[in-house]
Amino acid sequence: MVALASLLALAVTLFPAGVQCLWPQPSSIASGATALKLSPGFYIQPDVSPPPADLLAAVAQTELYLRTDNMQRLVLGRGAYDISSVQSAKTLSSLVLSLESGATVESISTEAVKALGSRSEGYTLTVPANGSAATLKANSTLGLYRGLTTFSQMWYEYDGQIYTISAPYDIADSPAYPYRGFMLDTARNYFPVTDIYRTLDAMSWVKINTFHWHITDSQSWPLIVSQYPELAQYGAYSSADVYTPTDIQNIVSYAAARGIDVLLEIDTPGHTASIADAHPEYVACNQATPWSTFANEPPAGQLRFTDPAVRNFTASLLSSVAKTLPSSMFSTGGDELNINCYTYDNQTQAELNSTGLTLEESLSVFTQTTHGALIAEGKTPVVWEEMVLDHNVTLANDTIVMVWISSADAASVADKGFRLVQAPSDYFYLDCGGGGWVGDYPAGDSWCDPFKTWQRAYTYDPLANLTATQIPLVLGGEQLLWTEQSSPTNLDPIVWPRAAASAEVFWTATSPGGGALNVTEALPRLHDIRFRMVQRGVNAIVLQPLWCALRPDACDLNA
Amino acid sequence: MVPTLAFACAAVLASFSSVDALWPLPTGLSVGSTALRLSQSFDITVDVQGAPDDLNAAVNRTKSQLWNDKLERLVVGRGSVDADAISNAAELTSLTISLADGATVRSISEEAIDALESRDDSYTLSIPETGSGAVLKANSTLGLFRGLTTFSQLFYYYNDNVYTIEAPIDITDKPAYPYRGLMLDTSRNYFPVEDLERTLDAMSWVKINNFHWHVVDSQSFPLQIPGFTDLAEKGAYSSSMVYTPDDVSHLVSYAAERGIDVIVEMDTPGHTAIVSEAHPEYVACAGSAPWASSANEPPAGQLRFTEPAVVNFTADVFTALSKMFPSKLLSTGGDELNINCYDQDEVTQGTLNKTGKTLEQALDSFTQATHSALAQAGKTPIVWEEMVLDHNVTLSNETVIMVWISSDNVAAVAKKGFKIVHSASDYFYLDCGGGGWVGSSPSTNSWCDPFKTWQKSYTFDPTANLTAEESQLILGGQHLLWTEQSGPENLDPTVWPRAASSAELFWSGPALTNVSSALPRLHDVAYRMRQRGVKAISLQPLWCALRPGACDVSA
Repeated sequence: MVALASLLALAVTLFPAGVQCLWPQPSSIASGATALKLSPGFYIQPDVSPPPADLLAAVAQTELYLRTDNMQRLVLGRGAYDISSVQSAKTLSSLVLSLESGATVESISTEAVKALGSRSEGYTLTVPANGSAATLKANSTLGLYRGLTTFSQMWYEYDGQIYTISAPYDIADSPAYPYRGFMLDTARNYFPVTDIYRTLDAMSWVKINTFHWHITDSQSWPLIVSQYPELAQYGAYSSADVYTPTDIQNIVSYAAARGIDVLLEIDTPGHTASIADAHPEYVACNQATPWSTFANEPPAGQLRFTDPAVRNFTASLLSSVAKTLPSSMFSTGGDELNINCYTYDNQTQAELNSTGLTLEESLSVFTQTTHGALIAEGKTPVVWEEMVLDHNVTLANDTIVMVWISSADAASVADKGFRLVQAPSDYFYLDCGGGGWVGDYPAGDSWCDPFKTWQRAYTYDPLANLTATQIPLVLGGEQLLWTEQSSPTNLDPIVWPRAAASAEVFWTATSPGGGALNVTEALPRLHDIRFRMVQRGVNAIVLQPLWCALRPDACDLNA
Repeated sequence: MVPTLAFACAAVLASFSSVDALWPLPTGLSVGSTALRLSQSFDITVDVQGAPDDLNAAVNRTKSQLWNDKLERLVVGRGSVDADAISNAAELTSLTISLADGATVRSISEEAIDALESRDDSYTLSIPETGSGAVLKANSTLGLFRGLTTFSQLFYYYNDNVYTIEAPIDITDKPAYPYRGLMLDTSRNYFPVEDLERTLDAMSWVKINNFHWHVVDSQSFPLQIPGFTDLAEKGAYSSSMVYTPDDVSHLVSYAAERGIDVIVEMDTPGHTAIVSEAHPEYVACAGSAPWASSANEPPAGQLRFTEPAVVNFTADVFTALSKMFPSKLLSTGGDELNINCYDQDEVTQGTLNKTGKTLEQALDSFTQATHSALAQAGKTPIVWEEMVLDHNVTLSNETVIMVWISSDNVAAVAKKGFKIVHSASDYFYLDCGGGGWVGSSPSTNSWCDPFKTWQKSYTFDPTANLTAEESQLILGGQHLLWTEQSGPENLDPTVWPRAASSAELFWSGPALTNVSSALPRLHDVAYRMRQRGVKAISLQPLWCALRPGACDVSA
């Protein structure tokens, strides 16, 4: 027994190198080196009463993944060498889910859209090596959902057996940051609802909990707003390239059932040329040329925010959309406002003259109006960093600021006391590095070159240059895809598995031993989640030749 | 009449830049501005005695594409803006295809694999605006195939109509260069046969005529070679990640029917670590660490070319390969030979000592042995540039050199009098710019950063720094995909439509290329590829694609 015990102890200490299946890495994990296989009759028992429908659906989905992932272990022989230990392994018959005593039973969907900071995503998961029932406990169904996600990543398949070689497992897990997001722009190019569903699935597999949906922009307006149907009627790329109110509700429900809150962004007052197709009178410098004088990219066009009619329209538009969404957050954008556009706009200048306001004062009035409308709907406004760093607008203290221009700007935002989401282009922009897309410009490279590798994103320090008192202002972060050069044909390959990098940065934050996250340790696990994504129908790219994926560390720089 | 005529004239002048449908741009083209739609009974008549099966099959594919592409024109309002013109349009009922008088009838497949400079891709295509029959003529079925490809790109779809708004169309077309290629590496990561078929389809749509198949490398050996099956048995990633002789024969036929010659490369003597799985005694520094001392990427391992057994083995494998691939061309590779690997290899050093040869002399013997095996099989060898620029090996005069390290090296190869295929990493490598892939290296970027945009490739000058005489050595060029970071999941988006840019450069010739007028046509072929099931990426927001020129840098 002594020998066996010391062997087990050795295996446990050896761990993180041994367990390559989990992403993000749980904040606390102990695992062994014993094989354990799923019984053919394995089932998940939700010991929650009454079990919400979305929890039952999550259980059924997990059982399906267990049976259909058919994920072979990424080692030479792909599981062939495991088979003898699997044959003699104990059999696991069930996983029992339960809430901690005293917890209120709410649906995953309800929990997923609570205000940031009030969601409970923690869970404990125990998988004994002796075949006795595995147990998953949490304070919320959302926590149970995260635990199911972890459980579904533990298993490999070989020759009909579904097994782990790392039992027993003891996991006590909870996220380091409340906001772990992914942003998709559906205005530069349109993505059908099925692509969004698939993306939400993949997000949920790595415990991303916020879908930041940059739904409209200057290029197109795919959002059908019941009260303003003319916007999509004239501004969508086609009558088929739209999101109906039903689509939006379906996507929001689909997301929430997977633990994901949908943060919708209607970018204002810039990035709004597409509104001019329905309301030319609301838009300054619409399609003005040369576009580079009036906008960062074509087409030019920004809301005439000095105009009371535009203020009222925008506030009404935002609140009419926001009131249909369960999230406690809503983004009004606010990036890349081009001042020249207004300088040359006669109507804007006339209004400024007649009111005696400066452009900045007028922008503050506009922002207070639109944010006031959102706050009246119970929403917390979200804005891009320029609204606090470049402009002089009054914002509610709880406004959330997204840092995008540079990671170096996070400290400035924190200095102003605002909560922030790390979305810096120099680490998290998935579209960088694909070359320039503007026409007639053969030498043009991507403005945010180079390509942001997963390693780059993974080594981001969310707290760099922040004081101890500022640290709590960091809500988390997200990787972002602007879609000038993306569409359904390359959505999966450009996003996955890269976007999993920030998912782990903001869930795990530090290695379970307390040290910094480490790209060398992470790579085999990232291979693993990538291959599992492919098994589940997401076209995540290979990060290395398969030769390397099957030989952890053999392709490291100094190997 | 005068105002109408002037209008028509202006339309013709303006239209040269407004033919958004064709890629690559025909070398001789005139179009009008009259709408013409396909009759519901439209048919393609094959007026060729004893028409070969692959020509009839190409005709059937073309008919299917005409009705199934369903590509709406890329303008604001899409096809709806053409509705009036379509409703008044004459109907085209037939396209008749025929060979020039006296032409010998051969199959497309035979003509596609003729020696490079003896293939005849030329054709003429005439489509009257009156609705009278369209006519496609060529000297070869291969030329007819090119013409059918052009014809299938001319038509848009709206409301059940298949139409053009640019009749009459008169085209006299032939390629500027005989070699227009695409290289794919199937060793770093494996691609199922269906991915290769789809890639061959897309290649044929832009008249690429050579598939350079870098089939094996140090990471895996997926090719089953009769007589040498242990190489794949031990070296493939798995028993299902292989290309069987049947797969090869199928792909070679599939390609040839689409006007594409399959040029196989077995890279030697470097890039061969995987051979050691079956023959450890043939490979120096196999799997040696640190890999960076013995190879440009892991795993290290190179053929012990000093050994007579290895020389014979390699020559025999090339002979066997020659039987699998009917092309006149076959590549023996020859890039990135790591000398340190041999310096540290006792077997190599022992043999060099015994024979009194230098390493370069042994390399010369090896190369002559493998190339003479090819010559006996009727093949012309292809090698990477190092074989002429860095090593001292004897090569036959007809050897074709691929310049990859830098476009700056083209002139040096030309000075040596060899024929050249442009494959420069600084213009044509599709894998650049995706970041470093080596592990434990958080801050490395792609070795060949930045990403090579379609504009970069498209503006390549094939005869830069060459004399008029040296310019004759340029056979053409190709895009290349090394697959350290590519697999089936991102094959299409990584390759298309970018690889179409070299296809046009080497078909239409640099004199006809213009990056500004090309963009709307490249959008068009990318959208058509998508309609046909190839996941070509968006080059711009659709807003830009629908408004040619509006997103240009100075617009």
